[in-house]
Amino acid sequence: MRKTSLSALLALLTLLFVPEQPAQAHGERAQEPYLRTRTAHWYDVKWSTRKVGVGEDMIVTGKFRLFGDWPDAVNAPSTVFVSNATPGPVFARVESFLNGVPARQSFRDLQIGRDYEYKMVLRGRVPGRHHVHPMIAVKGSGPLVGPGAWIDITGSARDFKFPLQAISGEQIEDLQTWGVKNAITWQLMWLLIAAAWLLWWLRRPLLIPRYMVLQKGREDLLTTKLDLKVGVVLLIGVIVLALGSYNWARNQWPKTVPLQTGTMKTPPLPFDASPVKVTVKEARYDVPGRSMRVAMTVNNVSDKPLRIGEFATASLRFVNGNLDAAKANVDPNFPHELLARNGLVLSDDSVIEPGQSKEIRFEATDAAWEIERLTSFLTDVESRFGGLLFLFDDAGKRYIAEIGAPILPVFRSVKVAAND
Amino acid sequence: MLAINRQVLDVAGLPPEAARLSRIWDFLVVLAVILLFMGAIHLHVMLTIGDWDMFIDWKDRQYWVLVTPISMIMIPAALQGVFWHYFRLPIGATVGAVVLFIGTWITRYVGWHLWGYFPFSMTIPATMLAGALAMDATLLIVRNGLLTATFGGFLFALMFYPSNYASLAPYYVPIEHQGMIASAADMIGYVFPRSGTPEYIRIIERGTLRTFEGTSVWVSTAFAGFICIFMHMIWWRIGLAFSTQKFVANAKGVKAMMGLRDDEPVTKSA
Repeated sequence: MRKTSLSALLALLTLLFVPEQPAQAHGERAQEPYLRTRTAHWYDVKWSTRKVGVGEDMIVTGKFRLFGDWPDAVNAPSTVFVSNATPGPVFARVESFLNGVPARQSFRDLQIGRDYEYKMVLRGRVPGRHHVHPMIAVKGSGPLVGPGAWIDITGSARDFKFPLQAISGEQIEDLQTWGVKNAITWQLMWLLIAAAWLLWWLRRPLLIPRYMVLQKGREDLLTTKLDLKVGVVLLIGVIVLALGSYNWARNQWPKTVPLQTGTMKTPPLPFDASPVKVTVKEARYDVPGRSMRVAMTVNNVSDKPLRIGEFATASLRFVNGNLDAAKANVDPNFPHELLARNGLVLSDDSVIEPGQSKEIRFEATDAAWEIERLTSFLTDVESRFGGLLFLFDDAGKRYIAEIGAPILPVFRSVKVAAND
Repeated sequence: MLAINRQVLDVAGLPPEAARLSRIWDFLVVLAVILLFMGAIHLHVMLTIGDWDMFIDWKDRQYWVLVTPISMIMIPAALQGVFWHYFRLPIGATVGAVVLFIGTWITRYVGWHLWGYFPFSMTIPATMLAGALAMDATLLIVRNGLLTATFGGFLFALMFYPSNYASLAPYYVPIEHQGMIASAADMIGYVFPRSGTPEYIRIIERGTLRTFEGTSVWVSTAFAGFICIFMHMIWWRIGLAFSTQKFVANAKGVKAMMGLRDDEPVTKSA
């Protein structure tokens, strides 16, 4: 018994004194693969810095493609809010844009199959190491999270201020504390009145005596004429104070506006027709090898010779290490854990000439499939994959093609595609 | 001790020692009521009012004013029924409002501010203290459940907006942001992001009524008052039902299962 008590005490003390750990992420890996591989494909994501001080700004920019093979289970992006996913408001959002249009409000009627460009200005607020993602929320479906980067915020949270100037003239010293003192003062005043009312009754014999007196028919002893007078005064006082405080507030802040709603609208980025037609002949996921293998026919319908440089899906990037233009397309600040170590292995890495059609197999292998919990597409009701294929011409210009098809699992080791 | 208090104890037939023990019992019950109902009402409000009470940028002129009193009146009305029916104490609604106030501020501070990093300006709660006080005072004056529902229930909703407006008015000052107008509350919601709460998810006023001073607030208030009348009636009775003790006779099968003979006397409902 003594041992048990001591163990319990020790466990409690351990729990109390273990230093708190920051949240390692906030659920992006919990999102089903069909959400991450077949809805919004994030690319060109850049974080202007990986370290900011409290009160300093960081800019997140990038683009997303609303995938053409949009899942049936996800609502169409008819109402979308551009946001950032962080563990709480550790950053303050200063400004945000979608295709250059202010994004404080939600957007309506985004188009599947088209690209959008966003920009978010975030200001360091809470010191620590935080995982920061761009994100869009789709009404009826929820958040679709982009790649996350670890950002360090240094300094002291106490130094953070967010001043604003109201159109009506009020100077807001800090949006974090604006109106708080006023609200607490009024609420405490109401609490004081309520406490006085409760004390008026609680100071007397309370439960058992009152119950017994009531049972004996002496209700007259329980509420007196004085109580009645106090009740009348209270009722009138409450009404007068409520209406009086309302009028006071209207005089104090005469220029007010209701909460603002409404949706914004923006056309998508100019349409770039895909320079290639990709037909997937077979797609398999090698479970023990943690490798996606795709056999496809690529038909170059453009007038430029092209090479395949990257396959991107669910924020994972498989880059063709043999193509300089593809490597140059990777921002040095891009999170390394989302860059596949083995890159993209192609059965035929040669140029696809204009008009040429080629049978190509690619292999995208990395433990990230497991770490990012993407292999559960094998148990989804709709076992399909999706992604973007980046192709480059001689001048290093990038072209984007969508790729997607049903996918089959392989539960035993197979030879690598490139050697097939 | 006041003469009236002594008279109460005398009529109750409690000698000094019993009176002292009953006072200790009072304190224990008060403590239990505070803890139990603080949790119960807070949970109820979070489940039924939720974001409208949690966030400043949900406190609009239409739905917040409508939904909050209708939901907030429920447990206070039940408590009012119990306190009045058994003890002739016109404090039930105020007790509900006070424990909710305390519980809400504890979670706002610990849960939202310390753990979630949210500024206080974003999570200022509404209070129903004024409405609850008015409802209790009405009960004391009219001494009748039906009339209290009719006048007190309506007053409960009527007091909600004006009594909270003094606390919240600064959050409706206009601000220019990115070439558009926003209230300070909108800006707070935008500047301090909630990853799981996009802007479009707010259920707030989407149009403007040109009558009634160009605001829907008094129409919503009046409708909330109307509904609160019936809410009060229902929850007063629910309070009484849940504070009633009944003994139900065991069925023969149950008695047999418990090893009792069929001819043993059973307790009738009391």
